[in-house]
Amino acid sequence: MITGTGIVKTFKQRGNVLDKREVRALRGVDFSIPKGGAASFIGESGCGKTTLGRIIAGLETHDEGEIVIDDVAMSSLKPKARQPYFRRIQMIHQDPYSALNPTRTIFQTLQAPLRLRARQTGRDGKWIDERASEVLSLVGLDPGSVLGRYPHQLSGGMRQRVVIARALTVDPEMLVADEAVSMIDVSLRLGILALLKDLRERLGVAVLFITHDVATARYIGDDGDLYVIYRGQVIEHGKVDTVISDPVHPYTQSLLSAIPVLHGLEQPGTQPVVPLSGLDESLSDGGCLFARRCPFHTERCTSELPALGRSEGVPQEHACFYPERRDVVARPMSGV
Amino acid sequence: MSKQAPGVRIDGLTVTYNNLPAVRNVSLELPPGTITGIVGESGSGKSTLALSLLNAVQPPGRIAAGSVEIDEIGNVVEFAAEQIRRVRGSQIGYVFQAAQNSLNPLKTVGKQLLDLGRSHGVEDLRGLVRDAKDLLGRMGLDGARVLDSHQHELSGGMRQRVGIMLALVLNAHLVVLDEPTTALDMITQSTILKIIREVHEERGLTTLVITHDIGVVAEVADRLAVMYGGRLVEQGPTREVLASPQHPYTRGLIRAIPRLTGDIDEAQALPGRPPTLATVPAEGCVFRERCPLRMDVCDTVDPAAEAYGTRIVACHAVKVKEHA
Amino acid sequence: MSELILETSTASMRRNFWRGVWRVMKRKPSRMAGVVILLGFTVMAVIGPLFYPENLPYDPNAKYAPISWEHWFGTDGQGKDVWAQLVIGSRYVLLSALVTGVITVVVGAGLGLFSGFKRGRWDTVLMRLTDMKLTIPGLPLLLVLSTVWSFGSAIEMGLVLGLLGWGGVARAVRSQTLSLRERGFIEAARGLGLSTTHIVGKELLPTMAPYIAMNMLVAVTGAVYAQVGLFFLGVLPYEADNWGVMLNLAVFGGGAMTTTAALPYLLAPLLAILLLTLGIVLVVDAMDEIFNPRLREE
Repeated sequence: MITGTGIVKTFKQRGNVLDKREVRALRGVDFSIPKGGAASFIGESGCGKTTLGRIIAGLETHDEGEIVIDDVAMSSLKPKARQPYFRRIQMIHQDPYSALNPTRTIFQTLQAPLRLRARQTGRDGKWIDERASEVLSLVGLDPGSVLGRYPHQLSGGMRQRVVIARALTVDPEMLVADEAVSMIDVSLRLGILALLKDLRERLGVAVLFITHDVATARYIGDDGDLYVIYRGQVIEHGKVDTVISDPVHPYTQSLLSAIPVLHGLEQPGTQPVVPLSGLDESLSDGGCLFARRCPFHTERCTSELPALGRSEGVPQEHACFYPERRDVVARPMSGV
Repeated sequence: MSKQAPGVRIDGLTVTYNNLPAVRNVSLELPPGTITGIVGESGSGKSTLALSLLNAVQPPGRIAAGSVEIDEIGNVVEFAAEQIRRVRGSQIGYVFQAAQNSLNPLKTVGKQLLDLGRSHGVEDLRGLVRDAKDLLGRMGLDGARVLDSHQHELSGGMRQRVGIMLALVLNAHLVVLDEPTTALDMITQSTILKIIREVHEERGLTTLVITHDIGVVAEVADRLAVMYGGRLVEQGPTREVLASPQHPYTRGLIRAIPRLTGDIDEAQALPGRPPTLATVPAEGCVFRERCPLRMDVCDTVDPAAEAYGTRIVACHAVKVKEHA
Repeated sequence: MSELILETSTASMRRNFWRGVWRVMKRKPSRMAGVVILLGFTVMAVIGPLFYPENLPYDPNAKYAPISWEHWFGTDGQGKDVWAQLVIGSRYVLLSALVTGVITVVVGAGLGLFSGFKRGRWDTVLMRLTDMKLTIPGLPLLLVLSTVWSFGSAIEMGLVLGLLGWGGVARAVRSQTLSLRERGFIEAARGLGLSTTHIVGKELLPTMAPYIAMNMLVAVTGAVYAQVGLFFLGVLPYEADNWGVMLNLAVFGGGAMTTTAALPYLLAPLLAILLLTLGIVLVVDAMDEIFNPRLREE
């Protein structure tokens, strides 16, 4: 179980010495991912979802807030003592090409972390060899043909599987997959998503999926939680299916409206939401962060910041004064 | 000079890299005034095909056979270097893959616009700037500000629009967009696609969109062509192809797209992996390794592209079914 | 079955590596030429001097003799065989150049890697040091040093040149390290809890090997020029068999620039230096392909 409360992260931009610009990447985010569960962070690039993922994987520090892993608060530990906890949260990078060392064979890549593991648990070299083959089989690769190869001899999809296999060498509690399929050929993407789902079911590994493509979030498990993040704030949160089929926040609705419709196969939603302008980083003083782009904003929206919470008749949490259901999602055409 | 959308006829085009065919015997017609989308995975030859339209295949690549006939321009395959340079930009606009990064980081957009104008002998540079501002304004940007900006001051979506502006500003009526929305967000992508569609109609263009994302084509294109391993395996009107794909690869590709609604288990990945230039089979059907309808004949004979109504499909199994 | 493959994998990988190197070298004739040249020089420096007596015989009647079967490159102002001097001199030149190369790479790459990987305080201190070192003008310092030190042994010479030359490599390696450490596979290695020794030695170093090897060869070339130059300028004590001294004597003693008699004496060491540099340049061309498995295996 991994939870976070009130995570705040501010990046200082270099430049003028006198006028230090600060960028608020995360403005107090709460999340909770149960053991073996699934969660997705959704949002545009620059919304803070990747930063949050890196903080959870221990690759980045945060300024405020608390991360609790298996009932241990990370702030109570020294940096060195945190390492074993964060080691059990493994990151799957977006780019399978740079995630593997081009000068090392797949076996060498898997061997290094396995050797460490063997030393910790007092196992021998034979176990390392067996385990290397085992983790490759787990991710659907044939060890015999893959172990001796270099990364450049594998396709993008196979590389991403190797990256996942490498993460499995440390028996992780959770995998953080940051846009893990966006650089993989379209025909193979579902294979990787299905693998993540399969690992959840078979090994009980939790999966945190970070993406801008909402549709892919469904495929790692419909029991998962979906967090829609906008400019460092969670603006809608609920079960994946609930949020996707019945979004109430205008930002979530515009994200869903933007997904291409397969005309001929699908009918577009009847009430698509289009933001009034592009992403705007300037601060609206105290108001809703989305107000300037929101087609439905009122005066209240520009002066008062809506907090994430529940309202009557809406199953999911949201941060909007005027939650309203709109028909934004494309539906399969009848008879096809 | 009255110009209108030209038609393009690609016939029997083969492009090789070191004698390995990246594009093999492709015939495709772009009717004047339409948007055609070419969909393919990495290594399908889609970008090479697009470059052939400009006769801009880089060595060791070489157009080995076939022709690309463009109305009012001619067969560009036979053009000499200087001849094709004059046509590029002024008559054929090209928006490069990752246009987000194809601007010169040291010069303002305006300077690059003037460079473009000068290299094409435009005399009325003032008029050129005016046109550029109009176009940028049309795409929802502040033209004057954008022309004064350097690349790093513009967001990805803005750079993409600048790329489109540079492709159109010399009044080209044939436009090729290579992966116009890769690395863009969903919302920005949707904005760009809308702009492509609108500008296409307003200016009377013939547009070719190259992409790996079938959703992009579904949104903008009138006609859809699917490439696999250097072959054009299926083409036809977008809606028809999406509603009833004939080629097993098209079918598999559409099934492999994660969807927002409907049964999760219906979507499935294609088995196997796309061929590369080195692994693409020399004879027989390029798709047979991953094909559920594989027959004996597929191992030896490359299926010819044949027309079935509005559709052109290159598949033995489809042929058998049609004749049955 | 699979165990068998794995157990021998380290040895077989090494064999594969050398087979790959051979393949890369064979790809271009120029590379083979480079290898042949460098091997030739190595043989010349290692066993060549053994064929000649400590004091070369001289013949006062054959000063500046022309090229002949007896004297391949003629003779010098004392009538000593130029080819013999060239061969004897090669040992000093090559040995000191090698020492320079090794020191440049070990110190430069070591500091660069450490500095780039650790960042923070260590980086600041080490890079200030490097910058300070880079501002020391090499040639004047060498001239000053030479007044108190005769550089009698090649190793001393190499040591001094190496200690003067690692700054550039250190800076370059550091910046490479800084960019590489942001790459996915380094971050993954840290995330997996692998030791710093492993990350630097097994992940970073091999990735930078072509870069470092190239720098080493360039450093070697620089060292050859630097020491020959020093001797040519005449700031170091006279030593008949040194290439630089040969040049000096040919120009200032034999008047090779004005008369043709001493020309072979001048050209012989010049040609040797050119050939050596050429050999290095031709081999450098292959470094990228040798250390990059993708380019190597293709």
